[in-house]
Amino acid sequence: MNVLDIRGLSKKFGDFIAVDNMSLTVGEGEIFGFLGSNGAGKSTTINLVASLLRPSSGEINILDKNIAKHSRFAKMNLGIVPQDLAIYEDMTAFENVKFFAGLYGLRGEELKERTEEALKFVGLEDKAKSFPKNFSGGMKRRLNIACAIAHRPKLIIMDEPTVGIDPQSRIYILASVRKLNEMGCTIIYTSHYMEEVEEICSRIAIIDHGKIIADGTKEQLIATITDLKDIRIELKRGEPDLALSLKNIPGVRDVSVEDNMLRISSDMAVDNLSQILKVLIDSGADIRSVEEQEPNLETVFLTLTGRNLRD
Amino acid sequence: MGKNIWWLVLSSLRKEFRKRGNILIYFGLPLAGVLISTFIYANAGQSVLRVGVVNGDGAETVAAETVRFISEMGQVKAENVTEEELATLLAAGKLDSGVVLEEGYSQSVLAGQPDHIVISSIKGAEVTAYLKALLYNYIDNMTALGRAAEGDPARYQELFEEYRNTVFKLQAETVNDKSVTKDMTYQSLGFLILFMMMSSVNLTELILKHREDRTFYRIISSPVSSRAYVISNIIVNMIVMLLQIIVTLFFLRYVFKLDPGIPITALAGLLGLFALASVGISLVIVAFSKNRGVSDSLQNLIVTPTCLLAGCFFPVEIMPVAVRRIADFMPQRWVLLAVEELQDGSGFGGIWLNLSTLFVFAIVFFLIAAYKFGHNNDTRKFI
Repeated sequence: MNVLDIRGLSKKFGDFIAVDNMSLTVGEGEIFGFLGSNGAGKSTTINLVASLLRPSSGEINILDKNIAKHSRFAKMNLGIVPQDLAIYEDMTAFENVKFFAGLYGLRGEELKERTEEALKFVGLEDKAKSFPKNFSGGMKRRLNIACAIAHRPKLIIMDEPTVGIDPQSRIYILASVRKLNEMGCTIIYTSHYMEEVEEICSRIAIIDHGKIIADGTKEQLIATITDLKDIRIELKRGEPDLALSLKNIPGVRDVSVEDNMLRISSDMAVDNLSQILKVLIDSGADIRSVEEQEPNLETVFLTLTGRNLRD
Repeated sequence: MGKNIWWLVLSSLRKEFRKRGNILIYFGLPLAGVLISTFIYANAGQSVLRVGVVNGDGAETVAAETVRFISEMGQVKAENVTEEELATLLAAGKLDSGVVLEEGYSQSVLAGQPDHIVISSIKGAEVTAYLKALLYNYIDNMTALGRAAEGDPARYQELFEEYRNTVFKLQAETVNDKSVTKDMTYQSLGFLILFMMMSSVNLTELILKHREDRTFYRIISSPVSSRAYVISNIIVNMIVMLLQIIVTLFFLRYVFKLDPGIPITALAGLLGLFALASVGISLVIVAFSKNRGVSDSLQNLIVTPTCLLAGCFFPVEIMPVAVRRIADFMPQRWVLLAVEELQDGSGFGGIWLNLSTLFVFAIVFFLIAAYKFGHNNDTRKFI
């Protein structure tokens, strides 16, 4: 079952097309990475999914129900962790979570239990009676998450949940995302930190100018741009004559020498590093360092959009 | 929707009343207004006329009796002075008025042609009118006795004794002057109206605050609609203002012991209707504001000046006619007019126009705000 199914979605603001005929599905149990540079249409898409904006055309289904017709059902099953903190500074952590959970109809003992559960999940149970103004940035981010999960949504959208926090809190939050996923939540995760997306997302979509330009697993995305890897070998001194013998190794497409640096372009599917090193050692070359570079998401993003993610 | 609105209302009220500063603003300021009004009018209506009497007619009976009469007059404190002292004390404001009985005064009364009496004041007719009214009446009686005695002092004395000892007595009673408490009430209500409007704008501003701190985003991401959220804000606003009205009127009537001249419940109902118009104005201010800075500026531009023009701080009658006409376009003026009319004895039937106008004001403001909010529904602005 698809938890989220977007079909032909468009959103215009006057002449500006923020989302352009977008179609996308997110399956149950996925951690879905949603990448796009600023202004690509990410936030507009999230706002459309959250029923905060009306689409110009197209439809959005959450748990197989059209959100235009079943807005309440959709909202009851959706939890949003906004990019900017959305908590009350003049209410305690407990009161914050309780207030927002109460908006989903929870009351009495159940509300209290869910509030405590959410605070425990993000590791703030000891700070329940404290006011957020006394919290660190990481603790505020965790409270921001607790406010979105106390009503146990099936789909959680996390918009840059680790922005501006310390490494320890980032590790905690990423672990929490995985744990939520293990508990059965489907998660849509946006981040400017490519390594986070690579680390936790099972599938990734890249949005640019309101369109999905790539969608798949990390490996699938990389395969869309190249099947070559880059091997860089630093020698003690330049050996221009080695290029010819290296080109005869299976998989090697190109060899270039620049000063004492050898740069070899090779088929990604062929494991030929040991053969390359053997040729170099046999020819008496003095190897100082070896680096094998496979294309990563950053490369994919840059290749597809022409921009860095943080642009 | 109803349960969610109630949840928002209770949470907001809990938050508002948790802060002591808010309690001071919502209830302390209107009470301070009542206190200021009582101070302003503290000395009004309780005046005793300080009169200096110069008896230049010696030991003549008529003159002596006149001096006695003046000193026994109600609301008058008489003091025997010389002519020089009288001039000095009047100039210094230590006396309000002076009565000079010149030589020959008694004879003129006996002759039936009263003369040689001078009443003076530098404060004008307002001060001398009361004194003249009573004193001239007394002198007229004395003159009538003089005419009856036909110039015979013994006969006059006899008639005068009879006059003094007559069984017919005029009992004078001082009527309690309610105009002062009415003025105090009016002034207190003027301050209450100002503080109600300020509280209302501050509470409605919470909509902008929650948009700025993005909690509004989280709220409308939940099953609560933006309409339900605004309705909850209006309910909170009305509850706070009704509490303001109840607390202020309670203190006004039972602590400061001021009788507004109108049943408290009627006054509360009238102010409750104004509260609705006030929420409407606040919603318009907030609907036209991009952030709290703008709404604060609009509040300063709208609330205090309109209260000033509408007569919340001083009677509108002292203002030029053109300004008074402008005041007619302000709901504060209509509520104060209604108060005046009720104080003057009109029933609710007599203020139906005021009530209808206030109601129309409220409806118009709500419609303008609803239109503006509807066209503000660009999520990019707030999310």
